[in-house]
Amino acid sequence: MTNPLTEQFSAPLTFNWSLSYRCNFTCSHCYSREEECDELSTPQLKQIVDVLVKHQIPFINFGGGEPLLRPDLYELTTYAREQGLNISMNSNGWLLDAAAAEKISTAGFRSVGISIDSADADLHDDFRIRPGSFDKAVNALDVLADAGVRTTMSSVISRINYRQFHDLLDLARKYRVPQVYLHNFKCSGRGFKNRQELDLNPQEWKEFYVEALKVKEETKDLLISFDDPVIASLPGYADNSLVKGSSCGKLSLNLRPNGDITPCGFIPLVVGNILRDDFEEIWYNSPILNKMRNKEAKGKCQGCGAYEDCLGGCTARAFATTGDLSEPDPHCWK
Amino acid sequence: MKRLQRNPDIVWRVEKRRQQAVLDRLEAGEETEDEGTVILLISGMMHQLNLLGGMIWNLCDGHRTLEHIVTELLQEFDVERDLLQTDIQTFIDDLIERGWLSYDQSTD
Ligand code: SF4
Repeated sequence: MTNPLTEQFSAPLTFNWSLSYRCNFTCSHCYSREEECDELSTPQLKQIVDVLVKHQIPFINFGGGEPLLRPDLYELTTYAREQGLNISMNSNGWLLDAAAAEKISTAGFRSVGISIDSADADLHDDFRIRPGSFDKAVNALDVLADAGVRTTMSSVISRINYRQFHDLLDLARKYRVPQVYLHNFKCSGRGFKNRQELDLNPQEWKEFYVEALKVKEETKDLLISFDDPVIASLPGYADNSLVKGSSCGKLSLNLRPNGDITPCGFIPLVVGNILRDDFEEIWYNSPILNKMRNKEAKGKCQGCGAYEDCLGGCTARAFATTGDLSEPDPHCWK
Repeated sequence: MKRLQRNPDIVWRVEKRRQQAVLDRLEAGEETEDEGTVILLISGMMHQLNLLGGMIWNLCDGHRTLEHIVTELLQEFDVERDLLQTDIQTFIDDLIERGWLSYDQSTD
C-alpha cells in the first residue's frame, strides 16, 4: 500500500513498565532481583499514563517485579483503559486466583502473560525456588481463561528447557493459551550471574532456533513468538517484524518504578525521567537511543551478509558482556 | 444513516512528524501517494495509510457518513467532488472488505 516506514516513529508503540521491583519470587534467571528503586504514588502513576496518552503510545505492558504486588494496579489499569490505552502484564501467577482474574477482566486487561519455565512441575518449582509455583501458574492460566481474559505463556529459554520446548507448547494447549513467547536469554541481573549454568552456547542457540522456527512454521493452532533479533540470519525466519534488529528504543522503551526511562529492561542506562523531562526531547535526541538506532557493524558483524536484518543481534546482550552497544551479540553462531 | 466506523480492535496512530513532512512535500508539488502517515496495528502486523487514506480513516469515527467525509475533505483538496467521492468510495470499500471499517446501520 505504501513505502515501508524507514524513518523513526513519532513515539514508541509500547512501554514496558515496572511498577515495582518487589517480587514474591527470586528466580535464577531474573534481571531485576538485584534492583532497588523508589516507587511512585498512585497519582504520579496516573500522571505517567497522561504522558503516554499525550504522546499516543498505545500499549503498556506491566512487568516487574510482580505487578500484582501493587494494590493500585487495577485502579491504574482502569484509568489507562478509559483513555484508550491497551494494557497487558506479565505475572508469575502466584497471587492470581479466581477473584484476581475477575478483577483483571473488569479492569480491561488485553492479555496476561504467565511465566512458565518448564512443563515439568518440579523443574519449574526448582528454578523459581518456590515449591507449588507451577501449580499456581497453571491455575492462573485456567482462572484467567475462565474469566475470559486472553492469556499468553512466557518462557525464557535456557539450559533447563531448550530441549523440551515442545512440552511447553503442549502445556499451553492444555491450558487454553493461544500464544507462547519463547524469550531469549538476556544475561542481566541474576541471569548474568548464572549464565554459565543457564545460557546455551552459540551453536546450541542456532540448533534451538532452527528447530523452533520449523515448529513455528508447522504449528497452526498456537502462535509462537520470539524476540531475538539474532535469528534474522536463519532460514525460515519470516520477516514481519516492524523494525530490524533489537526493537528497544525504536518500538519500545522501559520504565523503572521511579519513572526513569531506559531503552529496555536489560540495558541499565537511564535516558531520562518521564515525570521530570520532556518526553519528545528524550525520544528524538537521547544520544544513547540514537546510538542504538544507528548501530555500526563491529568485529565479525563487519562484512556479515545478515547484518542488514540482524543489526548485530540483541543490543542488551552485547552491552552486558562487552560494555559496547555495537559489538556482536555473544549468542551469534557466525 | 450509514455512518462509518473503525474496527475498535485496531490500534492506530497518526505519525505527526511524518504527516507534517508529507504535507510540506505536497505543498512543494512532490509525489506523496506512497508515503504512510497513519499506522495501523492489526494482529501484530503494521499497515500504513497515505495522507488521503489517513484523513479518511481519521474521519470514520462513527459519526460521519460518506457524504460528510467527502464534504469535509473537499476543503482540503482542490479536486472535483465526483472524483474525490470515487476515490474515497474505493478506499472505503477496500477497508470494509478487509474488516477494518464498517457501516453503522443504526437509524436516527
Ligand atoms: S555476525 Fe553480527 S550481523 Fe552477522 S549474524 Fe552475527 S550478530 Fe548478526
